[in-house]
Amino acid sequence: MNHRAKLLIIDDDPDFVDGIKSILESADYQVDVAYNPKDGFDTLKTRPYDLLLLDIMMGRGAEGVMLARKLRKDPQLREMPVLIITGIREQIAFLFPGQPVHPHLLPVDELVEKPVEPQFLLDRVSSLLQAAEKRKTASR
Amino acid sequence: MESPSKILIIDDEEVVLDSCTLILEGEGCTMATATNGVLGLKQVEEFHPDLVFVDLKMPGMSGMEVIQHVHAYDPSIVSIVITGYATLSSAVEAMQKGAYDFVPKPFTPEEFRLVTRRGVERRKLVLEAAALRREREVLRENFAAIVSHELKSPLAATQQNLFLLTAELSAVLTEDQKTRLDRLKSRIDDLLKMIQTWLRAFTVDIQKIKEGFRPTSVPSVITKAIESVQPFAQRKDIEIVTAIGAPLSSVSGDEGTLVEALVNVVGNAVKYSFAGSQVLVSARHQDGHVMISVSDSGAGIPREELPFIFGDFYRGRTGQAEEAGAGLGLAITRRILEAHGGTISAESTPGKGSTFVMTLPALRMDEETRPAQEASLQRTTQVGGAT
Repeated sequence: MNHRAKLLIIDDDPDFVDGIKSILESADYQVDVAYNPKDGFDTLKTRPYDLLLLDIMMGRGAEGVMLARKLRKDPQLREMPVLIITGIREQIAFLFPGQPVHPHLLPVDELVEKPVEPQFLLDRVSSLLQAAEKRKTASR
Repeated sequence: MESPSKILIIDDEEVVLDSCTLILEGEGCTMATATNGVLGLKQVEEFHPDLVFVDLKMPGMSGMEVIQHVHAYDPSIVSIVITGYATLSSAVEAMQKGAYDFVPKPFTPEEFRLVTRRGVERRKLVLEAAALRREREVLRENFAAIVSHELKSPLAATQQNLFLLTAELSAVLTEDQKTRLDRLKSRIDDLLKMIQTWLRAFTVDIQKIKEGFRPTSVPSVITKAIESVQPFAQRKDIEIVTAIGAPLSSVSGDEGTLVEALVNVVGNAVKYSFAGSQVLVSARHQDGHVMISVSDSGAGIPREELPFIFGDFYRGRTGQAEEAGAGLGLAITRRILEAHGGTISAESTPGKGSTFVMTLPALRMDEETRPAQEASLQRTTQVGGAT
């Protein structure tokens, strides 16, 4: 990648955010944070990001899912890769029995479970960024 | 402060309506009346009564019909029949149709008040029971969300920061300190896993896995289960030996949960085995069933504990203190097998070891071959098929 990729984390748990933000920064990503879905959506609207790291259980329930749905409908944001980081893999798996743990919330997403091993996180982020880059070149 | 009970009286005789209203004055109720069934039902919808008195013999819609409609509209509304002695048998019929009680005509004010109080009491109990049932359901449904968020989140955040610290401090930490960090991480990992297990046991509707059943190869389930237990067995110096009787038919099932079930049983066998011993996992076909048995020569289970081992929160007392667990493994295993139409049982001789036997209904050849296009890849190891 020829520029420093910009990532946004939307998660309401500041301690968890600290734990992944430093890992991402140490890999030379530029990382911003929003601590609730509303601020997160506003931030996404004001500045372009290369990747979103999104928590599911925020506020009064699965507000992350609602935000993800909103993103899918947004013509400007729907192409942005989204990495879902959640502690509720079990329930998602049982909402979609027989499928790999993947809620298909967005056309371009991937799901990892909290807590996430640093190297695993970096691998997922970089592969999603590369895939998005490829898509962009292909559609040009 | 409780709101006053709402009572509706449906009777074609104005005199009855008036006298009933009068009797209940001072009882702290709100009253409404209707002179026929149609008007009465309209009142039921608008007035939302707790208690409805219905005269059985009315012109137009009969009292019996009114009761049926009220019951269909809201079964928690208590309806009471007012009837003359001549129609005692129809009062019984009305009660069979959902009425709670009856007042024979003529009645004294005291009798009427008594029946009313009983009816109001009944309504309270019905509502309370419904509220409790609802609460229990909501609790059950929300349990997963609450537990995962409230318990897992702080643990996940802690673990995440331990991961980070390990990476950031790797250059300055001594070996001892690194070991200590690793131990912290593994303790938190145990906790996270235990929460996950509880979630599985109490919130997941295991019957749902039936929707995804497909022909599943038993040897493949056994191989995957053993792979998962192997590292633990190696650490304890225990050898896992398999004996799979060929040919073995497939079963209709969900491979993931079947592996989980077997991991629990084989894991237990390893857990309660003595170092240097063997655990035998065997499978064979018998009377239309595939039988998987897991034997160890470990501590065994005392006779008096055998009936309880498949219940929630059972933990082997003979196990050494270091063998931690939630005590849910076998309970989950039993549920998984039952969802597959199978069974699990155990025999044990204390001091000599235990044998767990699981049975699963075998698929017949024709059942196996129908969806074979998809499943054939997995079944290349089976040559013969069922006999």
